[in-house]
Amino acid sequence: MTVVEVLFLLLGLVAAGSALLVVTTRTMVHAALWLVVTLGAVAGIFLLLAAEFVAWVQILIYVGAVVVLLLFALMLTKAPTGPQPDLDARRALPAVAVAGLVLAVLGTTVVAGFHGVELDLDGAVVGSAQTTGATIFQQWVLPFEVLSVLLLAALVGAIVLSRGTGRRGGE
Amino acid sequence: MPLWWPLLLSSLLFAIGVYGVLVRRNAVLVLMGVELMLNAVNLNLVAFDAYFRDVLHGGQTFALFVIVIAAAEIGLGLAIVLLVFRTHGQIDVDTMRELADREEPAVAER
Amino acid sequence: MSSAAVLAAEFQAPSFEYSLLSPLLVIFGVAITGVLVEAFAPRGSRYLLQAVLAVLGVVGALVATVIVGLNLVSRGGGTAHGSIAAEGAIAVDGPSIFIWGTVLVLSLVSVLLFAERRLEGGVLSFAGQAAALPGTEAEREASTRGLEHTEVFPLMMFAVGGMMLFPASNDLLTMFVALEVLSLPLYLLCGLARRRRLLSQEAALKYFMLGAFSSGFFIYGIALVYGYAGSMNFAAISAAVSGRAGGEGLLLGGIALLAVGMMFKVGAAPFHAWTPDVYQGAPTAVTAFMAACTKVAAFGALLRLFYVAFGGARWDWTPMVWVIAILTMVVGSVLALSQTDVKRMLAYSSIAHAGFLLTGFVGAQQVADVGIGEITSLQAVLFYLVTYGFTTVAAFAVVTVVRDAGGEATHLSRWSGLGKESPVVAGVFAVLLLGMAGIPLTSGFTGKWAVFTTALAGGAWPLVVTAVLFSVVAAFFYVRVIVLMYFSDPVGEGPTVATPSILTTIVIAVGFAATLALGVVPGPVLDLAAAAGEFIR
Repeated sequence: MTVVEVLFLLLGLVAAGSALLVVTTRTMVHAALWLVVTLGAVAGIFLLLAAEFVAWVQILIYVGAVVVLLLFALMLTKAPTGPQPDLDARRALPAVAVAGLVLAVLGTTVVAGFHGVELDLDGAVVGSAQTTGATIFQQWVLPFEVLSVLLLAALVGAIVLSRGTGRRGGE
Repeated sequence: MPLWWPLLLSSLLFAIGVYGVLVRRNAVLVLMGVELMLNAVNLNLVAFDAYFRDVLHGGQTFALFVIVIAAAEIGLGLAIVLLVFRTHGQIDVDTMRELADREEPAVAER
Repeated sequence: MSSAAVLAAEFQAPSFEYSLLSPLLVIFGVAITGVLVEAFAPRGSRYLLQAVLAVLGVVGALVATVIVGLNLVSRGGGTAHGSIAAEGAIAVDGPSIFIWGTVLVLSLVSVLLFAERRLEGGVLSFAGQAAALPGTEAEREASTRGLEHTEVFPLMMFAVGGMMLFPASNDLLTMFVALEVLSLPLYLLCGLARRRRLLSQEAALKYFMLGAFSSGFFIYGIALVYGYAGSMNFAAISAAVSGRAGGEGLLLGGIALLAVGMMFKVGAAPFHAWTPDVYQGAPTAVTAFMAACTKVAAFGALLRLFYVAFGGARWDWTPMVWVIAILTMVVGSVLALSQTDVKRMLAYSSIAHAGFLLTGFVGAQQVADVGIGEITSLQAVLFYLVTYGFTTVAAFAVVTVVRDAGGEATHLSRWSGLGKESPVVAGVFAVLLLGMAGIPLTSGFTGKWAVFTTALAGGAWPLVVTAVLFSVVAAFFYVRVIVLMYFSDPVGEGPTVATPSILTTIVIAVGFAATLALGVVPGPVLDLAAAAGEFIR
């Protein structure tokens, strides 16, 4: 077993374990914190898989921005900090069944499809900021520009929903 | 490493995310489940990118796009959630039953 | 030389065909200008500026679309014509142009509906201030000062841009970005109703949650297809599918998950659960826009994805579409019968229409498979979308004018006796309903005729029999409303029909005229659909 494989197994265990805690913990704030662990572990796996830039973006945007937003939302909705007994609906059993079905179908699909296929990471081109930037601004330039429009739309939308009367503003 | 390792991990994370979305009642916790699902997809994409040695880096680029779109979606989604909290006083998705099929809709006239 | 310099020397600027993309650029430009207007124009002048800007922008994009459409070049023989632009991200071809035109005309009509102010006594039918709590001081202040969210116009333009990009995208990455560009503004617009704010916000939350959930499945499907084909590009995927590179399970799983995301957007069963709730709760102008334009865009994208990328696996996904189509028709037609709210009823009717459209989707696909003078399934679906779009927008526009003290009187019991109160409005609505039911001499009939004949040509006769059967079931609840309007006595003080401004009147008139015109002389639009040809590959 190579170093990469050992690291992958460790990170994978951490990611899966903390993800389970995200969806099962009784304390809402803990869910957000476990999410940080999951996302961090997945970022580590990205590094192993030669996706350096994606890994850093994952840390910056997901861990840095999205989780902070989620924590803010928990705070602003006055989420209790202690454990709560009624976070889950009573439909836990059907939910387990659906999730199990998804896992079974997707899992067998990928395992059957790629059984015995080796992922060779030696000498792989590392997806650095430079290589990623070069492909984005050449091959993917239209979706990239549209993505900026999407961000603007989301920004305007979020302001529309939360802006006050604007009386203290310039009007 | 065998290619199916990251792929299976991705399926597992996705399934956990689906479970979270289905079982949680608090809207913010539901969104966390969605985030897990999106991250599972990214793992898949990055693994395939490494496997194909994609010169266009389609997988990694898509993963980046998914991250950015998820951020936009969360930003807007939380704005909606906070708005609902201000008017309804709670964000339990299970009690959102004003809009549903029924014989005589009890329409809240506000 | 440093590696950066080497890379800079190698970097080739992307080719970007501005003229081909001009309709999209106009719409996004108008949206961004709208945001600037919101930031810099004085509050009093914003409404007029935004509305005029939106109308001019859509008209400008329409002109650009026509110009681009007239200059498409033939490609690879056959009836396909157009070009692939922006480094393979977008396919500007006959069907794209047809869908762009349809989306833009329907958006133009919807903008007028958005801009209607007279029905709410001089303000937009959107919340004056979304953040203000209903029944509080801030809310009263917002309404006395006549505050209104004129941002709805640029937000709508963003959605229109997404709707144009979605069916024209030529790789999975662009398609996903377009899907989000069209969805995010709609989630938000759903929550901005002036009346019945709580219902509206509940609709927005539900739409958002289910939308985010379904796009998770959509992108997992993309990841699997990428793993199968090694590329996001439709042409490369199509080559991999035809070559049967192995890993069938991966391809089928990817197709199934992509279908989940797509069927959610078009509102097909069993992924339709959001449709009635969101259509009922959203501001009626938004519902009209969403029901017409989202369906057009999503069906365009569905067809391109399945015909172009997965065309080689047709026999694998056809059974799945059969099941979904039948389920959708059953759910839409049967559940509509028990509805008591007119907006919910129209929502179920739109689900049933999605089922009829799916019937056409599995029809004869190749030009070679149909006789001379007949149209392919793509062209039939395009035609059906036009007929459906106009009728739907007009029907929701009628809903906005039937009012009582609490705003729109959407409960069906309030509509009884409308024929006596206002023969014109009731008559128009009756014609629109008959159009939806598919009675001869209305557009619904010609549209259904087109999709059913193409389905028959494709050998899907059991599906057509089911569709005809459920058309009859569906006709029953349309007729029930007509009977209610004409032969029932008003309950209580009865419904009132508010007089709208010229804007809503235009919307209703256009939809009414299109419903009749496309039923009596469908020829020109059918010819246009036939001229759209096929998708380029």
